[in-house]
Amino acid sequence: MFSIEIQEGGLVKLAGRLDAAQADRAKAALDTVKESATLDLADLDYVSSAGLGILVQTFKRLRDAGLEFRLTNMKPRIRTVFVYAGLDRVLRLD
Amino acid sequence: MVERRFPRHLGSLEPMAQFVSDYVGSRGLDREHSFTVDLLVEELFTNMLKHGRGGGPEVSLGLDGEREEVVLTLRDFDVESFDPTSGPLRPSDGSGGGLGLRLVRRISDSIRYEYVGRSSIITLTKRFPA
Repeated sequence: MFSIEIQEGGLVKLAGRLDAAQADRAKAALDTVKESATLDLADLDYVSSAGLGILVQTFKRLRDAGLEFRLTNMKPRIRTVFVYAGLDRVLRLD
Repeated sequence: MVERRFPRHLGSLEPMAQFVSDYVGSRGLDREHSFTVDLLVEELFTNMLKHGRGGGPEVSLGLDGEREEVVLTLRDFDVESFDPTSGPLRPSDGSGGGLGLRLVRRISDSIRYEYVGRSSIITLTKRFPA
């Protein structure tokens, strides 16, 4: 089960399981974000490379538009995936 | 060893995750380890879907191991050969391909590829030291 909730002010809450089967849905939702965004990952239980790829694409789109992109409240195991993928050098992990 | 067949499409990811979780639980391993095994299964399986040309309607996933290790075996039937263990990893900033195999190689302790009778067989070992 995966859910994504986009709130006013650029707050985006991801929850559940962001796997390859959910990547298109996540991308479609994130593509609607047109302002600096903070992604709250407190309730994200799982992410694979497919999900990471969508987050990086969103980061680059916003960065190229001069906007900010932050990831917050990630569980240790989620952070580990980012680090193993080398994305701690690309993305801001708060 | 436990083994189960799954349809060869992305809709199998959640049932595979449940299969992994049940297995890890049955072994009495830390539940957190199912996250890692689940991730390895997804990355290998989606790589099969992406690169394994041909392929039958199902793949099989086997789980085995002793003490602190889990050995997973994925079989893709009636498929062209594609060896995910060979070749250098491309530099990746996360937006292109190769991220999944980067994760697999970083996380796994060993990985072996065989091509037998038109089946691709990937055997991966992950150890979880106490």
